[in-house]
Amino acid sequence: MHYLEKELNELIQFWDEEPEALRALRSDAFKQYKEVGLPNRKWEGWQFTDFSALEKTSYRLASPGDLPPVPETLPTIANCNRILIINGHFQENLSVLSDKVTVQTLQHAYATNPEIFNKTVVNNSNPFHNLNTALMNSGLAIIVENNAVIDNPIHILYYTTGLTEPIMNHPLFLIVAGADSETTIIEHYAGTTNVQYWQNVVTYIKLSDNAVLNHTRIQEEDLNGNHIADTAYSLEKDAQLNAFHFASGSSLYRQNIQVNLASSGASSTVNGLCLAKDRQHLDQQIIINHLKENCSSNQLFKYILSDSSAGIFNGRVIVSEGAQKTDAQQTIRNLLLTDKALAHSSPQLEIYADDVKCSHGSTTGQLDKNAIFYMRSRGIDVRTAQLLLISGFAKEVMETITNTNIDTYIDEKLTTWLEHIGVTP
Amino acid sequence: MLEIKDLHVKVKDKDILKGINLTVHPGELHAIMGRNGSGKSTLANAIAGQDSYEITSGDILFNGTSIVAESPEERALAGIFMSFQYPVIIPGVNNTYFLKAALNAKRKHQGKTELDAVEFLKLIREKLAVVEMDEKYLHRAVNDGFSGGEKKQNEILQMLTLEPALAILDETDSGLDIDALKIVAAGINNYRRDDRAIVIITHYQRILKYLEADYVHVLINGKIAKTGGENLAEQLEDKGYSWLDN
Repeated sequence: MHYLEKELNELIQFWDEEPEALRALRSDAFKQYKEVGLPNRKWEGWQFTDFSALEKTSYRLASPGDLPPVPETLPTIANCNRILIINGHFQENLSVLSDKVTVQTLQHAYATNPEIFNKTVVNNSNPFHNLNTALMNSGLAIIVENNAVIDNPIHILYYTTGLTEPIMNHPLFLIVAGADSETTIIEHYAGTTNVQYWQNVVTYIKLSDNAVLNHTRIQEEDLNGNHIADTAYSLEKDAQLNAFHFASGSSLYRQNIQVNLASSGASSTVNGLCLAKDRQHLDQQIIINHLKENCSSNQLFKYILSDSSAGIFNGRVIVSEGAQKTDAQQTIRNLLLTDKALAHSSPQLEIYADDVKCSHGSTTGQLDKNAIFYMRSRGIDVRTAQLLLISGFAKEVMETITNTNIDTYIDEKLTTWLEHIGVTP
Repeated sequence: MLEIKDLHVKVKDKDILKGINLTVHPGELHAIMGRNGSGKSTLANAIAGQDSYEITSGDILFNGTSIVAESPEERALAGIFMSFQYPVIIPGVNNTYFLKAALNAKRKHQGKTELDAVEFLKLIREKLAVVEMDEKYLHRAVNDGFSGGEKKQNEILQMLTLEPALAILDETDSGLDIDALKIVAAGINNYRRDDRAIVIITHYQRILKYLEADYVHVLINGKIAKTGGENLAEQLEDKGYSWLDN
């Protein structure tokens, strides 16, 4: 991964106005990355994914030259305030900002509020996270005021298009939901390009006391994209997180999700739907840390896998010693549409407290042949019957999306995806 | 309408039907009775086109045309309906949506315009009343959380909605309490017309008290061992099946 060091040195030279402390942060993080390198199959929690594709191509950091004309049609979700980033460049003039929400570039955020960085970047065991810290070149800090109730979702659209050579971006999003605030944030990655690219995203989301945050993450990168993400949530007292992770894009996808229920009364729902076809490889690891008493966590993840795709889900719920009265549930369901599609799921529970309610389960199956015959015997053709069953499989998790406009958007994506999908009869 | 000629059917390499001959004319109601394992459900599934039932010889004609090479949906569109012994649960697929898709597939096949949501709701409410089903069942997933009786009522609802020419009712009366049995029988009688035929497969004579069967057939070891009128069902009720063995 020789190109990474070269890119780091050029970045430090190019951004010569950066504060010394930030440079030191970058250098330290890169050192940590170099000590271990990229994950390989011998690493626990990483054994199902091969990252060597990232070494075969030399990606350079997106530069000011990588800004094509803004496409006329961009993915749109109704009734949202959109923040637009194209190839890593924040398009402030094309973005609509909300009252009671501060949006800052990372340089600005570092200058005014450096301590929010420290929480996210030090001593991380994930080498991609360290690479992001070393090379962070885009992203934003988004701070929702205390008590603010934001009606329209904030839609962050990170769009990649018009590339002329392989580029990479290392966006960092720092999101703080103030105490007693209520917000919906959509973190959306999409792209259309014939050139390979690599997104290495870190998102840190803090929910202050009694904050309610709906976070929808949509990953529909071009299949020429590789999308690596580290998403960490930290919940303070009585905070409530409703997260939905939709992924249908990129050839290689790996996301580490971490939820820290850091104070009593916090509750998190983290659900997701993954759609994979061709040779896509979608890998997610989720760790829920129950650190304090009276917290609850729910997870429902569904994978629909076609062609020769692979879907990996590794989920761990860790209930610490003091976390009495924990209520934790985890369900993973895989639907294999072809004989060549592959699913690996491992739900795990680690419990160090004695007064808890925890359950987990995972299932992998194919379309129910009896249900297909039942529908056909009513005059419905095979293809329609298959699509009805697949949509029916997705429905349970789709129903957990509370915002109608987001639900409509993802539902349309699912419908379009299904139109082109192969199913073994 | 239905003509079955020397039908032999295998399931998982086992011969189940060993030469069935049956002719059903429009307006007729045929009851097929027999013990467990005699091949009753195999006959129903072979007519409906379940592909794990292999027809090794013989033929099934519907309105004069062989259907054995046709897919289940082609048979359904041509006018054949099977009420399942064990109706399948389809998670996440709304009952209304399913019924509307099935009805519109049929209407499209017949060259009629598809019904919109309002027209469909008007139609389905009439049919719901016949089988005494609450409208709430329309909003659930197909057969999901339905009791045994409700599943069978739902089968009859589908039959009334799709209006097939031939209905094969596979143990539609099994597992029903007396109230549900009466409702199901009323649904069947509501469906019955001179241009429609019904084949009801059953263990028990009790549903036949509410229906007027023209013929009763007894299936033993993959063959029709005896054919008679309604009084044959009564005889079976009294004497069981053993007197017909051999």
